[in-house]
Amino acid sequence: MQSESKDEEETPSLHWGLDPVFSAFARLYIKDIIEMRESKQVPGIFFYNGHPVRQVDVVGIVVQRKERDAFYNYGVDDSTGVINCVCWKNPMVAETPLSGHTSTPSSLTVFEQMKKLQETVSQKTKLEIGDIVRVRGHIRTYRQQREIQASCYYKVDDPVCDVQISRMLELPCLYREVYDKPFNCPEEIQSGLEGQNFSIRMLHEKVQGFLLENKIQTFYQQELEAVDSLVSLAGVHLPSPSCQESKSNSSSKRIHSVFKEAVKMLQEKGVVFQKPGSSKDLYHVTDHDKELFKVTLDVIREDCRKPRHAEKGCHFLHVLTCVRQSYIPSLAEVVMHRVLELLESNSDVVSTMEGCYMVF
Amino acid sequence: MLPSAGVYYFPWEINSSVPEGRTLRTFGRLCCYDLARSEAILTTQHDSAQYQVCVDTKFVEPFQAQVGSFYMVLGETEHREETSSPVVKARILTCVEGMNVPLLEQAIQEQRKYFNEREEQRGNGTS
Repeated sequence: MQSESKDEEETPSLHWGLDPVFSAFARLYIKDIIEMRESKQVPGIFFYNGHPVRQVDVVGIVVQRKERDAFYNYGVDDSTGVINCVCWKNPMVAETPLSGHTSTPSSLTVFEQMKKLQETVSQKTKLEIGDIVRVRGHIRTYRQQREIQASCYYKVDDPVCDVQISRMLELPCLYREVYDKPFNCPEEIQSGLEGQNFSIRMLHEKVQGFLLENKIQTFYQQELEAVDSLVSLAGVHLPSPSCQESKSNSSSKRIHSVFKEAVKMLQEKGVVFQKPGSSKDLYHVTDHDKELFKVTLDVIREDCRKPRHAEKGCHFLHVLTCVRQSYIPSLAEVVMHRVLELLESNSDVVSTMEGCYMVF
Repeated sequence: MLPSAGVYYFPWEINSSVPEGRTLRTFGRLCCYDLARSEAILTTQHDSAQYQVCVDTKFVEPFQAQVGSFYMVLGETEHREETSSPVVKARILTCVEGMNVPLLEQAIQEQRKYFNEREEQRGNGTS
């Protein structure tokens, strides 16, 4: 079993998302929440037995209550530890109900239901010492004390302790099955073919973000390879140092091939494409190719005037054929899909039925 | 300052060996309540013997005492001269009539078992 004292064995933050515990509300004992080690890479993330923990879920008895202007501090005791929970007051409850409201029968029922909801919320969030509370939130350190910043909290009606008992029975199993088992996946992924695939997937996402954020219209692959933030990503996940025969250009070759794969992936997704007229290595970014958008829009506008298409709009395949004829003969279907999706999200075109588009 | 965690104790474990000022939670049937002395007695049967826990109710008054009902108490122990077992000075006293007591006992055992196992494993790991 991995000991917690081995500080240096912190998983790189890039791999945290692979551990399901990271995206879950970890149901930990409060004792463990207080004792677990904070990440050196990212404050606010904690490690329980190597698992990165971002959010927790606790159930306990309120043993302390302090009211502030905008929030309550509740001391919550789950019999293993006590932690302070910062619970923001619900602004909806504080608000006075709408007055001077015209009372048509329908608005009255809505109004009444709103009132009912407010009452329920206020009942569920007003806690006294001795009440059972469930809190979900992230952990932070305030004045050297760990506390939970609640993103959600409510009073648990537990008159015969069923909720508490079932949780007490459940947690040991959960710990044995999940939290106490070390998470080894990243090591396996780092080596071998999967590692390469992983880094390519990673890189292609980052390249896409880079291209879109910087509004790049065209680029050569070599230009991407000169961007530090992208290269570092391609370098980190290179598999097994054993095959790096310390040749000076072997690593740059590998970086080149990883980038090539990533760009290929972007091509397959329709994010970038090539034009037959321009250089073989030049890539165009679909989202920023104004000409392509213009041609597509013109095709649809033109055809919607024809009586044949006036009602239903023109079909995707028809648009594709026309754009291929008038602009880029080799245009891929995915690129066309992406263009039409963007046009639609901008409300430049409207899809009338499965695969048909129209301009008004 | 936050109080210490109220660790579960079975009523039959509350005896002279429990340290002074220990925060704990335990349970039992309320058999009598002396309002004048702010004192309640919780009783439980275990292995054909009857156990009593004396609870100081000063901090939780006024409360609706339902004699004969099951209660859960959370508080600190205080050793007094007149009794051999410590008194529990209640901070929280809740009526839990209808609770599945054997299941609670099992849950407490499970939790203890888990922590003991973990302790053992961690102990082996470091030594």
